[in-house]
Amino acid sequence: MKILVAVKRVVDYNVKVRAKADGTGVETANVKMSMNPFDEIAVEEAVRMQEAGKAQEIVAISLGVAACQDTIRTALAMGADRGILVETDAELQPLAVAKLLKAVVEKENPDLVILGKQAIDDDANQTGQMLAALLGWPQGTFASKVELGDGTVNVTREIDGGLETVALKLPALVTTDLRLNEPRFVKLPNIMKAKKKPLEVLKPADLGVDVAPRLVTLKVQEPPKRQAGIKVGSVAELVDKLRNEAHVI
Amino acid sequence: MPTLDESATPLLDGLRAFIDPAQVRTDPDSRLNYGRDWTRLYAPNPLAVVLPGNIEQIQGLVRYANEHRLALVPSGGRTGLSGAAVACRGEIVVSMERMNRILEFDPTDRGVTCQAGVVTEALQHFARERGLYYPVDFASRGSSQIGGNIATNAGGIKVVRYGLTRDWVTGLKVVTGRGDLLDLNRGLIKNASGYDLRHLFIGSEGTLGIIVEATLKLTRPPREPSVMVLGVPDLNGVMSLYHVFRNKLELSAFEFFSELALRHVLKKGLQRPFDAETPYYVLVEFENPDESHTDQALALFEHCAEQGWLADGVISQSETQAKELWRLREDISESIAEHQPYKNDIAVRISRVPALLAEIDELLAREYPDFEVLWYGHIGDGNLHVNILKPTDLDSATFAQKCGAVSEHLFAMLQRHGGSISAEHGVGLTKKPYLHYTRDETEIGYLRAIKQVFDPNGIMNPGKIFD
Repeated sequence: MKILVAVKRVVDYNVKVRAKADGTGVETANVKMSMNPFDEIAVEEAVRMQEAGKAQEIVAISLGVAACQDTIRTALAMGADRGILVETDAELQPLAVAKLLKAVVEKENPDLVILGKQAIDDDANQTGQMLAALLGWPQGTFASKVELGDGTVNVTREIDGGLETVALKLPALVTTDLRLNEPRFVKLPNIMKAKKKPLEVLKPADLGVDVAPRLVTLKVQEPPKRQAGIKVGSVAELVDKLRNEAHVI
Repeated sequence: MPTLDESATPLLDGLRAFIDPAQVRTDPDSRLNYGRDWTRLYAPNPLAVVLPGNIEQIQGLVRYANEHRLALVPSGGRTGLSGAAVACRGEIVVSMERMNRILEFDPTDRGVTCQAGVVTEALQHFARERGLYYPVDFASRGSSQIGGNIATNAGGIKVVRYGLTRDWVTGLKVVTGRGDLLDLNRGLIKNASGYDLRHLFIGSEGTLGIIVEATLKLTRPPREPSVMVLGVPDLNGVMSLYHVFRNKLELSAFEFFSELALRHVLKKGLQRPFDAETPYYVLVEFENPDESHTDQALALFEHCAEQGWLADGVISQSETQAKELWRLREDISESIAEHQPYKNDIAVRISRVPALLAEIDELLAREYPDFEVLWYGHIGDGNLHVNILKPTDLDSATFAQKCGAVSEHLFAMLQRHGGSISAEHGVGLTKKPYLHYTRDETEIGYLRAIKQVFDPNGIMNPGKIFD
């Protein structure tokens, strides 16, 4: 079985995100970039399947600027076998990403595609669903448990009311939720091995995909600063303020 | 805790004449909480807790204390590990927590002036937001205060690269035990105009006066620090790794902990860094701004693995992972707190570390085979934390007495190696009986004479460091 895992390069989870002064986006200059945490979980799940002898090959794919190679190398060091970068400096929106991934899926013919449920930069939560629709594949989103069967996969999903388990026929698409697994640390010897693993670089044009943005960002701005609290002297004053200033009672 | 001594009421009312009465507290909760630090060896029993709001109130308090011969215990975040901020003999605790403002920042000086009650982490954030870095860092950063850090000359996890608190203090305002306000060094880099009293107050543990303001240097932040955790089969390997890594990488931390210590942290739900268990681990943090640095680290790893100095290792791929790896080391102290560890914080010159470790290992195995002993520490600074856990079936008093006997052996050993009985925790109460292993009688005589100058009536934190 072959697994395709998509990994996105995003602003590190620990970095305090700031809006650019001109309101065009988020500040990324001199900011630590890392693999999207949900994608780390996707890679970990694929590697565990391979370690359990259920998968033969793991292909890690990323889309974006040349530096996304670092993100792919991390996936390779975690255990993926080879990488593909679709390199472009263009802004990629979820639909464009889904179309590019579809083109690569048709080229690679994986049995399973695993993605993070969303990326922590734009929090769109669209790519997986769009890709499944474009491919006409079954999808198991927000997975907290994934069990491979014979030509099938059972996916336990985190839903509002609790857990839901769906049985999908392969080929299928899974998006990962936080509780699926705890990704491993990368071993130093594996970083050395990862450097020797193949990494193919493609362009969107090679895949015949038009990545032009469909959505326009009007403005990106920081949320309003929280005001300091005040101390009230009595319950009566509290009630008065809630009623006449905050207008909540 | 003993109930409040009613006969002191008029004395406290005198205080309330010049300090907001609400900031002179005598309720049992305040007396308990402000009367102790992270040591749990002493029963807190302060007379009262005072929370001054400005320097004038502190000067008034010190003068009042001189007049009425009241003992004062200056108090910061109370995260100390040697009992220096403990008030167990009817003292007045002087908490600096209300004096927590950052007063001045100058990007040209790269300096910041703040009140003593500023929490370490707040200062670190303040610097970060201005593209700068305050590098003194340790696990208690969220509670400890700048004044307390200075009074203990705190070290922590970045000393290998950035030195101790002392190296970052360019100015101090202090109220001496006489009630005088001294403005020491005023942020100057160079100032060759006689005795530098600032340095006497750094590490003085509140025995000379009260630190009320500090001017601190800031620096540029490290570039893209990466963290490695390496599995090391034996102690000699630890030192070999240190030599090799220090020469080739810009290290900002070189920390060490034992498998026994790691197990306590893992019990709290953290993930083992890699499958292989080794008796010791090293955490290395280094600047890793580009691939050439990563390649250098990989080459060193390969070389050290060939020598048999390390068995396995991982490297952080994100800041999140770097933080997770740090927790394996930083959470040790908290994870063993329930076992009432007997803590030792010792230092020798780096070159003496292997010999000392071997001797201590032999001593503990011979004399105390039943004790669980955990090793960790800042080995790159020659600083080791030796923690002995209390066996559950042993009562606290017997345990303390047995550990005291261990200490005598240990400190005699340290004396032979020219080491220190307290590397970064201070002397306070816990190490007071052992001071003579590090400082001879003549030197202690000079220390006493200095105290006499600043605090002639002995009101400042009496009974700490020496009697």
